Amino acid sequence: MSHLAHANARKQTAVQTDELITANGVSVVLGNQLILQNIDLSIPQGSFVSLIGPSGCGKSTLLKVLAGLVTPTSGSVSIAGLSATEAARRRMIGLVFQDANLLPWKNAVDNASMLLSIANRSLSRAELQARGQEMLELVGLGDASNKYPHELSGGMRQRVAIARALALDPAVLLMDEPFGALDAITRDSMGQSLLEIWQRTGKTIVLVTHSIDEAVHLSNHVHVLGIRPGRITESMDIDLPYPRDLSVAEDPEFVKQAVHLRMLLRASHQPGGAS
Amino acid sequence: MTDQPVTYSADSRLASIWSAAAASWLPPITLILAIVVAWEAAVRIFSISSFIIPAPTEVAKSLVAQWDTLMQATLVTAGEILFGFVVSVVVGIAIALIIVRFDWLGRALYPLVVLFQNVPKVALAPIFILWFGYGLAPKIGLILVIAFFPVTLSMLAGMKSVDHSLLLLMNSVGASRTQILFRILVPHSLPSLMAGTKIAATLSVIGAIVGEFAGASDGLGYIIQFASTQLDTALVFAALLLVSVLGVAFYYAAEILERIVVPWRPKFNDA
Ligand SMILES: Nc1ncnc2c1ncn2[C@@H]1O[C@H](COP(=O)(O)OP(=O)(O)O)[C@@H](O)[C@H]1O
Ligand SMILES: [Mg+2]
Repeated sequence: MSHLAHANARKQTAVQTDELITANGVSVVLGNQLILQNIDLSIPQGSFVSLIGPSGCGKSTLLKVLAGLVTPTSGSVSIAGLSATEAARRRMIGLVFQDANLLPWKNAVDNASMLLSIANRSLSRAELQARGQEMLELVGLGDASNKYPHELSGGMRQRVAIARALALDPAVLLMDEPFGALDAITRDSMGQSLLEIWQRTGKTIVLVTHSIDEAVHLSNHVHVLGIRPGRITESMDIDLPYPRDLSVAEDPEFVKQAVHLRMLLRASHQPGGAS
Repeated sequence: MTDQPVTYSADSRLASIWSAAAASWLPPITLILAIVVAWEAAVRIFSISSFIIPAPTEVAKSLVAQWDTLMQATLVTAGEILFGFVVSVVVGIAIALIIVRFDWLGRALYPLVVLFQNVPKVALAPIFILWFGYGLAPKIGLILVIAFFPVTLSMLAGMKSVDHSLLLLMNSVGASRTQILFRILVPHSLPSLMAGTKIAATLSVIGAIVGEFAGASDGLGYIIQFASTQLDTALVFAALLLVSVLGVAFYYAAEILERIVVPWRPKFNDA
């Protein structure tokens, strides 16, 4: 559990105003369409940030920019002082998508250590397995290590995908609608697990979601994106104390914040003019 | 027969395996028997000449009388099929890997491969005989040009069906193209590749027979052609029967290969 201790120490020493990720005037043109317009974003170290917005507004593109997978047409991204591509090269970025994308020919441990084995070629098989096992335990799948993907439920597969990203010990976890394909009950318990993982590891998390409740339940900052072009129209802090559990949804304060977010989101559905 | 007493549970398990086998095999076997009987009856009733359609009993007689010759020919043809099949699979996989791994070469090669697919390859048989003589080489060449394509195509299709976000994940940790190819694309393509390999197994049988038709001094294709010039239709049918058996055998061999190569298919998860 040494990495956990290490991560927690890092969390404690991090000053809350430390920005891990900053985006300055990021615009992205794909084809000849303006997908993202002038995005300014600052994501504090150790925070849990949600991005919410209508379908097609560019949330996934923004996440890919942060991951160094899409180069912005203009503007810049810095992650702990490095460019996004450099940060990716140093394994500082963990990615989780809607589809777990596990390799069907590998069991859960080998899937959990698969990206690490590519990122760090000096690790022995035993070290990779140990790391994979440790991560599976962190996501609550310690006893499923020998199971193959087809033997796991959708929620369990997504837990393995989270373990795979965490195995890299990234500075930030970028998650693109990770629970979008799961049923409501599994979704709730996955959100709760993610909160626990966040609190235990102190990772910075950026979550793209469609769900207002999920954003309010999990995050401490929410950025609302508008469509055509994709831009940040509103940002709000979620002022609810952690630890939060599922009963937080019955808290009148939760309801108030959710109503506010819904209002912001509705406003963002109107395409805006270029500025 | 065993002299050990059979326990009741083993007995009933055996019985259930038997009844399951019977349920799937009984209908086709019944139909085949019915056809054979009807065929025999029709030939006798309408007294059809045996060099037009031989009765099943005539075919069986020919099979027995020419057994040694037929077995020798079957071995020759089976050898051609096996050799040609293996070459086709190896070449088919190599072409698919080159197309995927090397952008420029791939873009150059792919249209040529597709274009070549539209050449009626059976028509190449006489040319191959001209170039390579009457031996094994022209048959292998013909099988190769007929059978490599489904292998290449199915492997390419399998590799293309990899989820884009999996490739993003690999890129996010700086995986090289070669790593992506061998750790993701190739294993991912195996189920699809094996489907193409089964088609190649069937096409290899056709390639071998066509190659023997075009020019050979041995093999089942040669016997079919030789016997038909002698109006020995019963022998033609006997050889056809053996060709069919070879086809079925190669198909099932490919299917067994599939189970070995793609063990993660859910139905084999306890292996
Ligand atoms: N590679 C691309 N080329 C051109 N347009 C793209 C590309 N990728 C995404 N887009 C477009 O960018 C817009 C935003 O896409 P995306 O970031 O996936 O949105 P979201 O994740 O918010 O649904 C969409 O209109 C989509 O069609
Ligand atoms: Mg998206």
